[in-house]
Amino acid sequence: MPFGSVVFAFAVGALIVGATGANPFSAYAGLLCGGLGIGCTQGENPALEISNTIVFAIPLITAGVAVALPFRAGLFNIGAEGQLLAGSIACTAIGIKFNTLPAPILLPMVLVGGMAAGALWAGIPGVLKATVGAHEVVTTIMLNYIAQWLLRFLIIGGPLQLGPGTSKSLPIGEGARLATLLPADNSLIIFGLPASVYRVHTGLLIALAAAALFAFLLWRTSFGYEIRAVGQSQKAARYAGVSVRRTIILTMVIAGAFSGLAGAVQIAGVDHNLTDKYFSDTTGFDAIAVALLGLGSAVGIVLAAVLFGALHAGGAIMQSDAGISSNLVLVLQALILFSIAANFVGAIRRGLPFGRAPAALPPELPPAAGLMTEAAAAPPEPT
Amino acid sequence: MAHKHFRFLGVVAAAMVLTMACGGTSGGGTPTKTYKIGLVTDIGGLNDKSFNHLADIGLEKAKTDFKIQGDVKESKSGDDYVPNLTDFATKKYDLVIGVGFLMQEAVGTVSGQFPDIHFAIIDGAGTDAKGVDLKHPNVQSLYFKEQDAGAMVGVMAGWLEKNGKAKKNQHIIGAVGGISIPPVDHYIAGYKWAAKMEDPSIQVKIGYSNNFTDPAKCKGVAKSQIDAGADIVFQVAGGCGLGVLQQAGQSGVYSIGVDADQKDADPSVIASALKKVDVATYTAIKNVVNNQFQGGALTFSIANEGAGYSIDNLDVPAELKAELDKVLGQIKSGALTPPADIPA
Repeated sequence: MPFGSVVFAFAVGALIVGATGANPFSAYAGLLCGGLGIGCTQGENPALEISNTIVFAIPLITAGVAVALPFRAGLFNIGAEGQLLAGSIACTAIGIKFNTLPAPILLPMVLVGGMAAGALWAGIPGVLKATVGAHEVVTTIMLNYIAQWLLRFLIIGGPLQLGPGTSKSLPIGEGARLATLLPADNSLIIFGLPASVYRVHTGLLIALAAAALFAFLLWRTSFGYEIRAVGQSQKAARYAGVSVRRTIILTMVIAGAFSGLAGAVQIAGVDHNLTDKYFSDTTGFDAIAVALLGLGSAVGIVLAAVLFGALHAGGAIMQSDAGISSNLVLVLQALILFSIAANFVGAIRRGLPFGRAPAALPPELPPAAGLMTEAAAAPPEPT
Repeated sequence: MAHKHFRFLGVVAAAMVLTMACGGTSGGGTPTKTYKIGLVTDIGGLNDKSFNHLADIGLEKAKTDFKIQGDVKESKSGDDYVPNLTDFATKKYDLVIGVGFLMQEAVGTVSGQFPDIHFAIIDGAGTDAKGVDLKHPNVQSLYFKEQDAGAMVGVMAGWLEKNGKAKKNQHIIGAVGGISIPPVDHYIAGYKWAAKMEDPSIQVKIGYSNNFTDPAKCKGVAKSQIDAGADIVFQVAGGCGLGVLQQAGQSGVYSIGVDADQKDADPSVIASALKKVDVATYTAIKNVVNNQFQGGALTFSIANEGAGYSIDNLDVPAELKAELDKVLGQIKSGALTPPADIPA
């Protein structure tokens, strides 16, 4: 992970807090408590704070993978949000329609259904890119809008609407829900609170499995090699006998399946129904930042997702404990992204006489992944 | 047994009345408790110039009047409602207030987990996922009689039409609702009822945008009403309704705002129908401080100063002001009762 960018963001964030007349140390103490449950002074429950952070991190991990994989093939998937919505819509529709089925049948159905919908949503730009060369940045963004408006139609006046005047769907059946790690019981007391307040759910295991699968696919399979080859140089890949079209389409389809899974897990594990909050959901966009910050590696993505989850969960605690607007969290996220994109932490380091020489860009990184390194992207060496 | 208990309670009640009558001057040695109040905004945030902003004003007023510690959490997304409410509850706040019906499900969930913590919710109840009120005894619903506020602006619209003081004076006015849900229809019901009372020949055009956020949608509905002769349009559609106010400005007719005072939104706004969320928030806090918290619904209306109207960008003639005061007094005394359902 580009730690320099994170340190830079927090340093500038502290200056901003200081400039508004507040105390940066109490702000970050609030973030640390709310994000990781460390050093809480005002009666917060550390276990609850950690639980909240993980709940926020789960969809970011899976969606982060969905951005990182196409990166390796030289594709910029800005459509993770739309694919995530497609997955959550499919999950909800199936979970309502077959709400009487038992969990062993229904749960795989909603998760696979979500993956299929996400795969379809990402497959469209994949096919367009491979056949007519339509740029995936444009097409995936447009499909985000289509997914958002489809969702609007479905839960406001459409077939999934709960009732007149509402802007949410019916809840999915009990069998379609992912269990929480702790029993969802109001009367059982764990760590001093009712067990049901800890919302960490088994989707955590699914997200970690998705990250592991991503690493395996990329580095241990011949298809992963093809993805990297296409990302490196389409011409060279073609010369080596790789079908570039097939690789582009399949990469997008798999990425969409990951995004769709993120949406399905969010419905099955946390929300249990579609609500108007999904109109303004930003998980798929935050996932781009997570993929960049995680340098496109599975471990990096998990760490970056936990950082973003901790910032999200910590913001509210910071606001009530230190009296600093939780908007600071958005500023920090933006600063992290900005310093990764502008790459000037690496530039500063190179400029210093005692500075470390920039790490050479690993030759297997595609041009689009240049954003994922601290060093300036060198032109890929011919292999 | 029960009889004895009641007698004991009676003695306690009498003692409390006496203590209160003494006005705290004799309260010397007992340390007074600092009540902790937590306010959770919906995604609109504190600067929404509407519910969240007004709730914060109510909290600030309570801070100056009572010995309380008031803390606010702004929700950035719908994902934040449950964690924000839960955080206040785990810290054993004396009252946790959720602003707005978007938080109904979250309040329903968290209030079930913390039966010893008091919750209040503006414009909603603690519900399950299907929107059914769970009726937790530790949840107080703060509702409003929107028809009271609607009636006051209806009086204004009807009087202006009858006396030829509007722009076109064809005895046609309009109302643009977001979605046909009870709070929206209550406003429109009071508006139409009062306008007809003032001007029996009036025609009230009612349209819905099926949207609460997109001004363009409401603009279209308002335009069709104005094209059909309406020269006063009442918006009951939140952020979408800003389009109604803009369209009225562009077409050179009058408009009426909703929920909060919207005189700054457009020069065409002559009045606003008010839900006094600040009064509701303050009252809920006051009840907790006075140990009078009660689960269930608490309704705010003209009678308890929880609903009303504001006169905005219009010099109101004295006769109209007199008429408004007369109707306000009659609603307050119960002589007039605006209907909750839109009259035919």
